[in-house]
Amino acid sequence: MKAPNFLAAPGRSARAAALHAGRAGLLGVATLRALAHPRRYALETVHHAKFIGLDSLPLVLLMGALSGAVMAQQTMYQLSQGLPREIVAGGVVGGMLTELGPVLTAVVLAGRVGAAIGAELGTMKVTNQIDALLTMGRDPVVELVVPRVVAGTLILVPLVMLANAMGIFSGYVTSVGILGLSTAEYVDGAKGYYHHGALIFSLVKAVAYGFAITFISSHVGLRASGGAAGVGRTATRAVVAIIVSIMVLDTVLGPVYKTLT
Amino acid sequence: MIRIIGVHKWLGGRPVLRGVDLDVRERETLAIMGPSGTGKSVLLKHIVGLFDPDAGDILVDGISVPSADRAEMAAVRTKTAYVFQNSALFDSMTVRGNLLMGLPPGFCRGRADRCEELVRTALDHVNLEPEVLTLLPAELSGGMQRRVAIARAIIGKRRYVLYDEPTTGLDPVNATRINRLIARVSEEVDATSIVVTHDVESAFFLADRIALLSDGVVAAEGTPQELRETDNRAVRGFLDAAPTRGLE
Repeated sequence: MKAPNFLAAPGRSARAAALHAGRAGLLGVATLRALAHPRRYALETVHHAKFIGLDSLPLVLLMGALSGAVMAQQTMYQLSQGLPREIVAGGVVGGMLTELGPVLTAVVLAGRVGAAIGAELGTMKVTNQIDALLTMGRDPVVELVVPRVVAGTLILVPLVMLANAMGIFSGYVTSVGILGLSTAEYVDGAKGYYHHGALIFSLVKAVAYGFAITFISSHVGLRASGGAAGVGRTATRAVVAIIVSIMVLDTVLGPVYKTLT
Repeated sequence: MIRIIGVHKWLGGRPVLRGVDLDVRERETLAIMGPSGTGKSVLLKHIVGLFDPDAGDILVDGISVPSADRAEMAAVRTKTAYVFQNSALFDSMTVRGNLLMGLPPGFCRGRADRCEELVRTALDHVNLEPEVLTLLPAELSGGMQRRVAIARAIIGKRRYVLYDEPTTGLDPVNATRINRLIARVSEEVDATSIVVTHDVESAFFLADRIALLSDGVVAAEGTPQELRETDNRAVRGFLDAAPTRGLE
């Protein structure tokens, strides 16, 4: 029996999504397998860690500083009426560690690193460089994917921590310089809120986002086709897929926070 | 020896190869010739496992490429080198980095001097100066990129070197230069070469034997002399329509 026409488009989309998921699963397995040979990717990993980490640092610190300042202002304006003013520091520390630090760092890296990896691997795909690697008996997963994924997963941890620190510091500067809190009020509020669970939660998110950014962009890049226009579409697709996955992970990881507190 | 046995391949819903049978003998240069879109490059990619046939088999020194396991495939790829139509140099690497990629993984660990010597020798084979070693592919002309690609293919002294349209996109002077280079290099490194080309002059200049691919099958096969003299309609039609460039 022939399926009605209105089912054709969703059917095609479901098939494409299933294919993508299957291919991503295979790439994930190949990536995990390749991790067993660190000598083959260690040097490249250092190179990518510099690109992902060090070169992104100014932007990440700027985003951290701005989000800390915004968090301090909004907490003051929206929550402090009738409550102790120390809550501003609590809002900044809590907001930075659990949400803004990891999520904004990941979004910055989605645009900067995810697009770059998608475009670079996409270009390699459409110009036969991936095929060239294969004909030389080299594994593109070991040569291209693993160094990026390992570097991204590891380097996001210090990046997120620095963004958190910058946000908390700029929250302090804003609170004391603009909102009229004393240093003691800010420090007391921050100490009152802080607990290790929030910091660990931040680290867990950093690792998850670091993996998602580099793995998704590598997967999308390796599936590129269609010349220069195809590479452009690949970069866009990589960024969109990463940002969606960051928000999905943010939601899914929510309950983890509860277990840590 | 490479044996191509009854290879069929469908791409994009149409048959590209419809039962190709071809043997490539040791140390010969075989040109696979034919009009654009007849599946010459597709056939070449089957030999190194970039495509799997829908039917048929490809044997490289007795190893069936379509059914090769990981170790067997690695063995095939240590024997074969592929020069891509667009050179396919790694654009984030210098010429030196590209050439080193032509050596087996891990080969240079602990023997940097030997590798440097191989790099220089390969560069010398393709008439390039050592000054280019530090340049990126984007800093080279099209002809130089093609020569680096050939150097990358021969540096590992592979038994089979596969050239996919090596002169496409080059001006006549550079195309002639590349053809002469392939002829010389094939002799010097003692390799079996397969050259895919739609350029009749190149095929007749380079090949010990020529196979004409037409409508997805080998329409004719023989020495250049035999093909010049044949009455085969496909050969005559292709040769009579082809422009000449004066290579001898």
